[in-house]
Amino acid sequence: MTGILVVLPVVGPLLAAAALLAWPARPLLRRVTGLAVSGLVFVTAICLLAVVRSGTVLTVRIGGWAAVVAIRFAVDVFTGLMLCAVALVVLGCLASAAGTGQDRHPFFVPLALVLAAGANGALLTVDLFNLFVLIEVMLVPSYVLLALRGQARDVRAGRVYVATNLLASTLLLAGVGLLYGVHGSVQLNELVGAARESSRVAAAGGVVLVALAVKSAVVPVHAWLPRSYSEAPPVVVALFSGLLTKVGLYALIRVFAVLYGGSADHQWVIGAAALASMLVGVLGAVGEHSMRRVLSFHMVSQIGYVLLGLALFTHESLAAAIFYLVQYILVKTALFLCTAAVHADRGTDRLVALGGLAMTRPVLAAAFAGAALSLAGLPPFSGFLAKFLLIKAAAAGGAWVAVAVALGVSLLTLTSMLKVWGSVFWGLPGAARPAATGWRPQAWATLPALTLAVATLLLGLAGQQLLILSEAAATGLTNPTEYLAAVLR
Amino acid sequence: MILAFVLAWQVGLAATVPALSRRLGRNVGYPLAAGYAVAAALLLTRLPAILDDDVVQISWRWLPSLDVSAALRMDALSLIFALVVLGVGGLIMAYTPRYLSGSGQHITLYVSLTLFAGAMLGLVFANDLLLLFVFWELTSILSFVLIGQNQPAATRPAVHALLVTSGGGLALLAGFVILMVSLGTSDISRILAQPERLASGPAAAASALILLAVFTKSAQVPFHFWLPGAMIAITPVSAYLHAATMVKAGIYLAMRFSALFGDRRPWSIALIGVGLATAVLGAFLALRQHDLKALLAYSTVSQLGLLIGVIGVGTPESDAAAILYTVAHALFKATLFMLVGIIDHEAGSRDLRELSGLRREMPVTSTMTALAAMSLAGLPPTIGFVGKEAIFEALSEAPGGVWLSWTGTALAVLASVLTFAYAARLVYGVFAGPPRQRGLYEPSWSFLAPAAVAAVAATVAGPLVGLLGPLVVRAANNARPQGEPAELAFWHGFTVALLLSALTVVFGMLLFTFRTRTDRMFLEAPTARPFVSYFDRGYGWLLGFGDRVAAMARAEGPAPFLIMPLLAVLLLGAAATALVGPVSRPPGSLTRPGDLVVLALLVMVIGGLVVARSLLATISLTGLVGLILSVWFVTVGAPDVAVTLLLVEVLTTIVMMLVLRQRPGEPVRRERARPSGAAAVLAAGVGVIAAAGTAALTGRRELSLPARYYLERAEPVTGGHNIVNVILVDFRALDTLGEAVVLSVVALGLAAVLDTAGATGRARAGPPDADLVFGFAYRVLAPVMLLISAYLFARGHEEVGGGFIGALVAGTAVGLGHLAHAGSSVPPLGWLRGRPLLVSGLLLSLTVGLAPVVVGRPFLAPGKLPLPGPLSLSSGVLFDLGVYLMVLALVVSAVRRLGSPGGRRTEAPS
Amino acid sequence: MTAAALLVGLLTAAGVFLVLRGSQLRLIIGFILLGHAVNVLLLSAGVLRWRVPAFADGGLDRADPLPQAFTLTAIVISFGITIYLLGLLRTGGAEASVIEPDPADDDGPTNRPTEVRDRDET
Repeated sequence: MTGILVVLPVVGPLLAAAALLAWPARPLLRRVTGLAVSGLVFVTAICLLAVVRSGTVLTVRIGGWAAVVAIRFAVDVFTGLMLCAVALVVLGCLASAAGTGQDRHPFFVPLALVLAAGANGALLTVDLFNLFVLIEVMLVPSYVLLALRGQARDVRAGRVYVATNLLASTLLLAGVGLLYGVHGSVQLNELVGAARESSRVAAAGGVVLVALAVKSAVVPVHAWLPRSYSEAPPVVVALFSGLLTKVGLYALIRVFAVLYGGSADHQWVIGAAALASMLVGVLGAVGEHSMRRVLSFHMVSQIGYVLLGLALFTHESLAAAIFYLVQYILVKTALFLCTAAVHADRGTDRLVALGGLAMTRPVLAAAFAGAALSLAGLPPFSGFLAKFLLIKAAAAGGAWVAVAVALGVSLLTLTSMLKVWGSVFWGLPGAARPAATGWRPQAWATLPALTLAVATLLLGLAGQQLLILSEAAATGLTNPTEYLAAVLR
Repeated sequence: MILAFVLAWQVGLAATVPALSRRLGRNVGYPLAAGYAVAAALLLTRLPAILDDDVVQISWRWLPSLDVSAALRMDALSLIFALVVLGVGGLIMAYTPRYLSGSGQHITLYVSLTLFAGAMLGLVFANDLLLLFVFWELTSILSFVLIGQNQPAATRPAVHALLVTSGGGLALLAGFVILMVSLGTSDISRILAQPERLASGPAAAASALILLAVFTKSAQVPFHFWLPGAMIAITPVSAYLHAATMVKAGIYLAMRFSALFGDRRPWSIALIGVGLATAVLGAFLALRQHDLKALLAYSTVSQLGLLIGVIGVGTPESDAAAILYTVAHALFKATLFMLVGIIDHEAGSRDLRELSGLRREMPVTSTMTALAAMSLAGLPPTIGFVGKEAIFEALSEAPGGVWLSWTGTALAVLASVLTFAYAARLVYGVFAGPPRQRGLYEPSWSFLAPAAVAAVAATVAGPLVGLLGPLVVRAANNARPQGEPAELAFWHGFTVALLLSALTVVFGMLLFTFRTRTDRMFLEAPTARPFVSYFDRGYGWLLGFGDRVAAMARAEGPAPFLIMPLLAVLLLGAAATALVGPVSRPPGSLTRPGDLVVLALLVMVIGGLVVARSLLATISLTGLVGLILSVWFVTVGAPDVAVTLLLVEVLTTIVMMLVLRQRPGEPVRRERARPSGAAAVLAAGVGVIAAAGTAALTGRRELSLPARYYLERAEPVTGGHNIVNVILVDFRALDTLGEAVVLSVVALGLAAVLDTAGATGRARAGPPDADLVFGFAYRVLAPVMLLISAYLFARGHEEVGGGFIGALVAGTAVGLGHLAHAGSSVPPLGWLRGRPLLVSGLLLSLTVGLAPVVVGRPFLAPGKLPLPGPLSLSSGVLFDLGVYLMVLALVVSAVRRLGSPGGRRTEAPS
Repeated sequence: MTAAALLVGLLTAAGVFLVLRGSQLRLIIGFILLGHAVNVLLLSAGVLRWRVPAFADGGLDRADPLPQAFTLTAIVISFGITIYLLGLLRTGGAEASVIEPDPADDDGPTNRPTEVRDRDET
């Protein structure tokens, strides 16, 4: 039974996508199918999480082949948490796409489902080459989604996106190849601590990490993300933001933890990249002029926070990083979905052209405010707890520079969110008129964002459960024996 | 329990506002006021216990894994602040309905105010650092909402206020984290009970950070500028948040943590220094204001400074004085704000230069204002007088040297003199003199009553201070358990403090009398504006700097975005070279003579490719590179790879030709290359790293475990002879499924992009002539190729071949057809459509993969499908067929989409 | 330095050079070359000492089949992406530099900061 649960997050969406393509369905049927399958995956993820939360690790050998050669999917708490978050993001984005009418293209839902399948697979797999393949399964639909509106500008922004990701994929593949060359295996369980013991493995793993860093938009290889995300359709950006870079980040954490875990020689590199990402990202966000661009730069900055937890590599800091990552996925998706609603309403997300939305769209404003405060790390939202955990872990580790940077960046984050808030929700109504299509956003456009914003509030007020799970997940990273034992079973 | 109930009560009140508001409109303030009174009464039921040095507390597990609990605790200090919050809050709630206009939305205002009161209560009750911080930030956020809502001009001051206070809040968080990390607990009462446990290093850092929070929240120099800005909010908000309560949060925090840091000299010095400097500066600035609200705002800054300064003294008497004066200030300052609001409301102005002689028409308002101003100025018999006496006394007896106590006292007296002067100016300016406006009336009693109650209370509390005494004394002991201060009394006899009070009055009167002369002097002095403008300049600079940082991500074209990743590779290569050091020679010979031939050929071809200008040459040379590599792949024992690569190259070339054929202008146009020096250097560097990496990291190990397994066990396990194919179809079928999905998505993508984008390639003038020879050759070749394709597919498991290779061959046939027929007529195999192929392939592969799951075996497990008779079909073949269909789907889509003449396709999407 | 390593280096350098040189078609060809480079790298990861095709009865010195399978998968994936990129060539995006943003569409690119001033700054 667990066997099918483990592969369902990959197979379910793929099957649904194929079915939707086979029978050219009405938009309503597409929507319902998309939401139903994503809901099913969410329920599956919850079930998986419930099974593994006690510390057991579920594994499936695809095809049932011998352990030495089989591709394996494994679910530990970290995986389970990420699967849940990703499923929520997909649900929210599909609902929002339906609400804002962005899913009109007959391929939208199938492509989103394939993307989700790839993302889920990338979270599940233990095999690095399979990771590469599944990341491609995730990326190629994203290439198409970017250009689906068919506007020249999309295609141009898409070119930056495709080129950078292609380079990163090439690099990832090269890294995997080099790991095989040095070590004779591409399975994570065979590679535990290998980089600590051999500098050649460390070098090969470094290639993998650089590739994943590009995909996660870590400074200094971040610029592609704000460039390309800021011109894509907002719901698509929400989907990308919740899935693509986060899967890259997840893989980065997993690979680093398994290969290099606890190796002080390598941690400082991650730490430096983390601090640079936090600073550069937030400064860019402060200086930007449209909601999508501000939020895209924040992605860079927030990735820095998560990496900070990885760099410190204590149990406490890893738990903080995982808590941060999971809640942040929801927060950022909420913010992008708010942007999508604004965009659907006013036809633009440029700050200078907007204003006064707090009066006309109070619920949307409330959802945005909640998510924005959470992003800035203000209580009582989940972002606060996350930031607190991280700062506490940094302080416990004596990383005072990191504490100072984290706090300063938090204030700058607030600054930029206030800039957005002041321009978009307060102030005089801007020059933007309602969208030319005449389509008026309805509650559906706001509801997904609001739901996620409420989720971040609840996670802030009652974060204990997520905290326990994050700690269990961190145990899986600092002490991979259980993960391995299960994988070998 | 009562504490939690009171908090829940406030939230409940806020929750009822929308419903009540529908019926009552603005009058919803009255039931809220009653609600505040109920809460206050509930807390007062515990007064006897509190006076008995007992505490009320309750605690829930909140984040047990962090040892953080939702702990509430009320001692006398908390109770006094809570009563201020609820008492003043109730008055403000009763005041607000008449202040607001009858129409309009007030729900947000009332909800925010009520929640704010709850947050303040939570702040003074919190017995856990984290919980305290949560409430602390909540007050900042609600203050932001209350300042900024409803008018565009308020956004900037609201942002100032929030940035300054939450900046301080972050400092507070840092301070608390230091305490938690070094003490291992976040329980405030436990932390405060043992100040000696805190080492001096963390103590210094934590105290400095907490002070930063105090100074920002309580608007101390140089952070004070947000408070006058916040006066853009409506008067009830100013009166409640920015005079009586929120700014007192800093006072509360400073008092609370005096138990921990009070014995440290820097703590005292910082409090006294910053506080008294603020007191003088604020009073001085208040004196220059014409706008009554601005005057009161600077007055608040000044009075808060005085309080902060007194807290720094650190004697039991000083704590008592600070607590008493906190209550006094809340009372009279809220009153003054309310009265100014009334004046503004009635006279339509709050500018001292426009108001005059209101005492005739508004005698009650005048009297009440005068009473509150007496409190402010420190005149008997008000509570302001008692409080200021206590402050003078505490300062003049401050420990730490005569120098400190005299300077402190002098500054306090100076601030008080200025305070007296502006208080007098306020009363005199508004009410005395000739009346200028006609038709003014005393406001309705319901408007005036809340202010009047507070004004009278502030006055009679002076003589009756003895009633407050026990609670204040107890609270002072809570703040710093160092013995009981002297009881508070209205009359102390002829003391130094009384002398200082008298001095204050005398100098204040002088300052007021000669105001025309002093005003000129004061107005020439530097103003408060520098602080705001420094902040704004910094903010603007920050935005500009951010804009420059963001500019990196605005470049056009992919190349600028690839440079950093490539540089990262260079860096990694350099670092790895340094770390790995020299590597051993690999055993055996990894290079054969043939390799060198291939290398030499490639050097030439690639050299040509790099310098080639014409597109045709570029495409041909690219194909040639693939061809040579295919040959090399054969020599290294990878025939499947070789054949696949060859076919892929052929197909890629066909598609390129098809694409470029639709862009007739293109092939002859010579592309202008970008300056290539830097690109060449970077490319060479990355190339060297790639070569070095490959050389250093490959070729040195024995056969890997999986390789050994495959070579020995693959055939027995699967029955397949071609191990590479077996790996693809069986062992790593998931990879294969993934790549087939990739191809399917590309097929979809081509359909989507080219259908919606309206391909811009221009159609040729007329249908091109089909190449007769080519066409004929094709008609002969196509069936043969299809046969080969089927054969290659079928033998995949045994020899070179399989789904990919077979489909690529078939695809080549389709592609050649399009080339031969040049898009004019429907070529053979033109009936093939991408989407049905794709869908059937995907469904087939997934079904084959899922079938074993139904019978409880793993996903993609191999199996046999029984056919009629003795035959059976292995699942691998079906899976491979699915792959075949998907690969073919891509090729068909590509040649159909890209090979058709430009322009929007009119036929139904396939 | 083995011949294979030199091959990788050569293909990488040429690929990077072409990728950095602006035009879309060169970008695609650059990535094709980079793909080749990785394929050679993957095969060398399987140790090129053994070069006999990996059939079940090949005896000693049979090549490691796993990197070959990797390479096959990689080739097909890059083929797909190459085709997609070629498809993008056919769309308006190829003429990036000559297309001005549509003034009617308010969602224009924000790469001209002088034009887009925030009201916060004023």
